[in-house]
Amino acid sequence: MNLYKYASPAMFYPVAGKLIPWFAIPAALLFATGLFVGFFIAPTDFQQGDAYRIIFIHVPAAWMGMLLYVLMAIYAGIGWAFNARLSSMMASSLAITGAMFTAVSLITGAFWGKPTWGTWWVWDARMTSTLILLFLYIGFISLQAAIDDPRRADRAGAVLALVGVINVPIIYFSVQWWNTLHQGATIRLLQKPTIRGSMLAALLIMLAACWLYSVAVVLIRLRCIILEREQNASRFAEVGV
Amino acid sequence: MNWPDLSMGGYGFYVWGSYLATLIAIVWEVVSLKQRKKALTQQKTEPSAVAPGKSSSTGASIEVDPALPRSVL
Amino acid sequence: MLRWIVWRDLMLAWRRRADMLSTVFFFVIVVSLFPLGIGPETQLLRTIAPGVVWVAALLASMLSLGRLFANDYQDGTLEQLLLTPQPLFLVVLGKTFAHWIVAEVPLVLIAPLVGVQFDLSRETLWILFVSLLVGTPVLSLIGSVGAALTLGLRGGGVLISLLVLPLYIPALIFGAGAVEASVMGTSPSAHLSLLGAFAIVSLLFSPWATAAALRISLE
Repeated sequence: MNLYKYASPAMFYPVAGKLIPWFAIPAALLFATGLFVGFFIAPTDFQQGDAYRIIFIHVPAAWMGMLLYVLMAIYAGIGWAFNARLSSMMASSLAITGAMFTAVSLITGAFWGKPTWGTWWVWDARMTSTLILLFLYIGFISLQAAIDDPRRADRAGAVLALVGVINVPIIYFSVQWWNTLHQGATIRLLQKPTIRGSMLAALLIMLAACWLYSVAVVLIRLRCIILEREQNASRFAEVGV
Repeated sequence: MNWPDLSMGGYGFYVWGSYLATLIAIVWEVVSLKQRKKALTQQKTEPSAVAPGKSSSTGASIEVDPALPRSVL
Repeated sequence: MLRWIVWRDLMLAWRRRADMLSTVFFFVIVVSLFPLGIGPETQLLRTIAPGVVWVAALLASMLSLGRLFANDYQDGTLEQLLLTPQPLFLVVLGKTFAHWIVAEVPLVLIAPLVGVQFDLSRETLWILFVSLLVGTPVLSLIGSVGAALTLGLRGGGVLISLLVLPLYIPALIFGAGAVEASVMGTSPSAHLSLLGAFAIVSLLFSPWATAAALRISLE
């Protein structure tokens, strides 16, 4: 079977459409399960009380933010290297969901920081790096928004995403460095409570839920992008949009 | 299974606030995508309507001549 | 070829001396705004000086980046440069070097003078100078990627800033950190080494990224 034909946006469009419910429905189910385990089964933490339950959304959101950025860079790179439009469209679609998760992780991090450490914002290494990641997303999205020609936008985005992804470890290291210098011997902020069985289970279920949700939403957006870009192509008449 | 303390030991505002913020983000994302999709499919059935998004200004760059051999990728 | 590019860009910049000077003035004014906004208490000023001077240097660099390729782009020279048999990498390196001399070196030279406003010791002023000397090439190099990506786009300086400022953060942390170490009496050598390493990595990778970005922007 020639799988390569699905690299064409027009051919992939209906495939994406069929895939979406297979990710959206399990995502909803896993969200429900994860929240159930997190709230009904996981015990109250000794140190942080019930406030720690925020981590069931904060940590998966943070991980998704980082994961989606790397994926975005990979798809953008492939799209640039192989001149594969669909790949570049995927990157553009991933960007917004990734930015959304990063923003959620910052907001939930603030909500977690206030009761546990007293301030809405703490400049610890992780939160600061997450903030910078959000800036990188915003840069990518702004650049693509500012360029009218879709192919130029794809390729320029690819350069920016690749430069960004290479810089992320450097940025993370420098922020860690900066943080240890200024924190000195004080306790590491936003320390996760020691994870016990049911807490870990809830965390992983929520992570899986976020992952499935991302796939569904990214595919929906990808279809919108395909429609927007291929509007002039007559072959869309055959696909029966 | 233990019934959770809904006030979250006094931290209710923060816990429920976080989840509410997340819910708002998810709802916003899904709703805006539905609207985007609707605008596009409506526009396809009314070709005279002005196209939203940036493709309206890039007609030249995405013209595809079906007769030309296209790279599969 | 490299020497010719550098010389040409320097000559062109000299004919527009006002641009060079306006970057320097911007830097000086921004730095002076902080004490006005925060208060003249000397201990406080000494604490904030490294960050303030470095951030002002970043912002001043951002403003000058638009000029790196825009003028050549507008009169068609850039397209011609792309067509030469010389590797684009060298062209980019030359232009970036010229940009550094024109836009960044004046900042480096005037920084100690500006640092006096913050009551920094002579030792610290020297470290400030060195940190900027080592760090400003990073600003030009990484900035050139942003300038190349945004060629001809509306949104101009703000868009470049969005793209490039996050990437500047390691340089800011190490550079300002070095000066701060000096203010506190500890050794800045670790910071400066890291800054130097970052500068070398930028030197090795940015011209390629910029060249690729130029090709993308010009096709």
